[in-house]
Amino acid sequence: MRKHYDAIHHVRGESLYVDDVAPPSDMLHLAVVGSPVAKGTLDGVDVTAALALEGVVSVLTASDIPGENQIGAIIPDEELLAASEVAYIGHPVAIVIAETPELALRAATLVEVSVTAQTPVVCPREAYAKGDLISPARTFEAGDVDDAFASCAHVVEGKCDIAGQEHLYLETQRARATPGEGGRIQLYSSTQSPYAVQKAAARVLGRPAHMVEVDVLRLGGGFGGKEDQATCWACFATLAAHHTGRSAQIVLNRVDDLQMTGKRHPYKADFKMGLSAEGDILAYEATLYQNAGAKADLSTAVLERSLFHATNAYRIPNVRVHAASCRTNLQPHTAFRGFGGPQGMFVVESALSEAADATGIPRHELQRKNLLVDGDTFHYGQLVERARGESTWDDAAAAFELDGLFEAAEAHNAKGGLTRKGVAVMPICFGISFTKTFLNQAGALLHVYGDGSVSLSTGGVEMGQGVNSKLRDIAAQALGITNTRINLEATNTTRVANMSPSAASATTDLNGNATLAAIRTLLGRLHALAAERLGLDSTDGIEIVDEVVHAHGEPTEWTWERLVLEAYLSRVDLSAHGFYATPDLNFDTDTETGRPFAYHVWGSSIHEVTVDCLRGTYTIDSVKITHDLGRPINRVVDLGQIEGGLAQGLGWVTLEELAYGDDGRLLSSALSTYKAPDGDFMPPVHVRFTEDPEPTGPYGSKAVGEPPLMYGIGVWFAIRDAIKAFDADAPVAYDSPMTLSLIHI
Amino acid sequence: MKINVNGEEREVDVPEDVPVLWVLRDELGLKGTKFSCGKALCGACTVHVDGKARRSCVLPAGAVAGKRIDTIEGLADGDRLHVVQRAWIEHNVAQCGYCQSGQIMSAVALLEATPDPTDDQIDSAMSANLCRCGTYPRIRAAIKRAAALMAAEGDK
Repeated sequence: MRKHYDAIHHVRGESLYVDDVAPPSDMLHLAVVGSPVAKGTLDGVDVTAALALEGVVSVLTASDIPGENQIGAIIPDEELLAASEVAYIGHPVAIVIAETPELALRAATLVEVSVTAQTPVVCPREAYAKGDLISPARTFEAGDVDDAFASCAHVVEGKCDIAGQEHLYLETQRARATPGEGGRIQLYSSTQSPYAVQKAAARVLGRPAHMVEVDVLRLGGGFGGKEDQATCWACFATLAAHHTGRSAQIVLNRVDDLQMTGKRHPYKADFKMGLSAEGDILAYEATLYQNAGAKADLSTAVLERSLFHATNAYRIPNVRVHAASCRTNLQPHTAFRGFGGPQGMFVVESALSEAADATGIPRHELQRKNLLVDGDTFHYGQLVERARGESTWDDAAAAFELDGLFEAAEAHNAKGGLTRKGVAVMPICFGISFTKTFLNQAGALLHVYGDGSVSLSTGGVEMGQGVNSKLRDIAAQALGITNTRINLEATNTTRVANMSPSAASATTDLNGNATLAAIRTLLGRLHALAAERLGLDSTDGIEIVDEVVHAHGEPTEWTWERLVLEAYLSRVDLSAHGFYATPDLNFDTDTETGRPFAYHVWGSSIHEVTVDCLRGTYTIDSVKITHDLGRPINRVVDLGQIEGGLAQGLGWVTLEELAYGDDGRLLSSALSTYKAPDGDFMPPVHVRFTEDPEPTGPYGSKAVGEPPLMYGIGVWFAIRDAIKAFDADAPVAYDSPMTLSLIHI
Repeated sequence: MKINVNGEEREVDVPEDVPVLWVLRDELGLKGTKFSCGKALCGACTVHVDGKARRSCVLPAGAVAGKRIDTIEGLADGDRLHVVQRAWIEHNVAQCGYCQSGQIMSAVALLEATPDPTDDQIDSAMSANLCRCGTYPRIRAAIKRAAALMAAEGDK
């Protein structure tokens, strides 16, 4: 079995995260001063008392930024430090630089921030009504929705209120900057986007990108929360190093991290679905009000994916989905595993649930009947190819005896008492590729040393998703050598330039294909040398298998080590760069149509719950999944992604409640008030794989990171069914999370 | 003050109210124990004090004077991994790894007190150790495997 690349370091406690690397003896520490109110004009920042504290080196505000005070990546609407207005509680206005972390934190409390407060907006519907949008609203439309509704036998309507979700990476945000000669800055950052950090740090310094080096060894969890939002902390450390000439580190404490960083976007939504008498979905209309928070961050890209996944895995010929990023006075919300997909899917599943009630056709029959098949077209114009909706559904239904589960639940519920069982199926269809086409590129740098050892650098950031394990396995297979020869280097902007974030589930696809490109170049040289030494006319029939050069299927006396040493002595280049750009992607934002995804990941999950309808408590009895992995590179790693993604999805729709006050303050700003899944909560999980190779994935593999999260949605509907089995008239709004207080009847 | 860390007597010069976590990380350079919530709510900082699992982020240094502290770094005997570490590798538990030192220390404490734990005992002992990567199914499997290995080997 192929092990996790870092397993031995992790179990010995030897894995290094940003603040584990031995610090320079004179390193300084930072703390951030955030706005005390959610909206207002910034009248002044008095740093006198903070500076008076012995050991405080400096307090920096917006006027201390030598370059541009701007970190907005998609839309330039986010100052690094607020200059004249504050837009959410915790909005950074100053940074304190001190000799110790404790001093920095204490001094931060002494900085006096004067704000003339205004009334904040926390509801996206209110922002929408005022026209306060991050960017113009978008509408994806297919067919003729209005005509179609007129001919439907059943039309249902409703609303959803979907909460956000805290990332809760166990390693809080952190970064360390060290000044070098000539104003150069070296950064250790816990970021999914080394290039974004490099660009932003250079921008605030007013220097070119090559003056900033970003190095990322690993992350203690990211989940999207360090895609765009690792940037400002790294910029603060950069500013401190620039101003003091000393190394500077920031490690957020948990309360600051919860209060200051954005989360999965909360959405509100209106839906309307029309069906034929037989249960064919004919028309679907939805309006999605995304609570973007105070700044754009990645909200517009997240919104786009909500639009793409608004119909989940279903064939709907007439669709109109209207969606808006609504500006509010909460933290700027950001990427989180699923990236808008989960919210879009929750809404259409809610519509199906209403449709089941209206038509009398069970929800799972409606779902199964309307699954996309090859030859259908998504509402954004892409042809459905290699669909696995029906096959994964049927596999799960047969292998996990879905009919029997429904019968057992009915039998249980017929007995009366206080508990009821619910069973729900959740199919998923998730597009793979960055929806911004230009991001679908990657580079890899391969060095083979004279002793036969191999160093591989890519743009992939290891954050627990196992990209290093998978890239090592891809490289070993392609080179024909044992994987222990291969070292995955820290992700570093001086080895790989212009890297895309490790996000969109596409990290292994992109960087694996770039790695394969580099290996093809290198093997071309090595095969030519081998052919020459073997006296062959061409490289045809030469391959390296299990560390031995083979010619036309027969082993030769040339081993990997011998060939590599010979190449070195013969002055053959043993380094190669590879590049990959996903082919055949396009999207036209004028018509909102195109082919934005290289392929889709499909799957079906079955959820069984038992609800105590008196107490509001419940048990998730099991989750059973058939998942489409392509041909997995590392099955153990991929299974871990399914289990982990599912855990987060289950938590999102049940336990995890972000509570905000009307003043925009996050009330659940500690782990004592925010409940995430623990081992006791986690149900038994059974997973089956379908294994059809994906033509564009490395060795036929498919992306795995995000899609399993959306299985979690199924448990919400299983709980709803159990409640309805107890009392068919119980009001159950389409509000998520389904906390105990909502279940309590 | 004197504390015993992983079997070695160490002299540290810190105020008594400094949490043990920072004594380990900053004074003794033992970086395997992690900071995460700072309020004893996530388990990432779990160490053993006289053999019992404790959250080092809220444990004042003064409270452990003269006591024995064990950390993740002291678990293996040179190259010979502790049985829990071996089970962890066998089951590929870790993803990002950040919570895993704490998870392993909690698991070791559980198995020392309860060599053959039931599912409920595992859940109850481990529920205060959060893993956002969601490695819970594997943690449970690895603890059972470690229990079996301990029973078979008669040691750890």
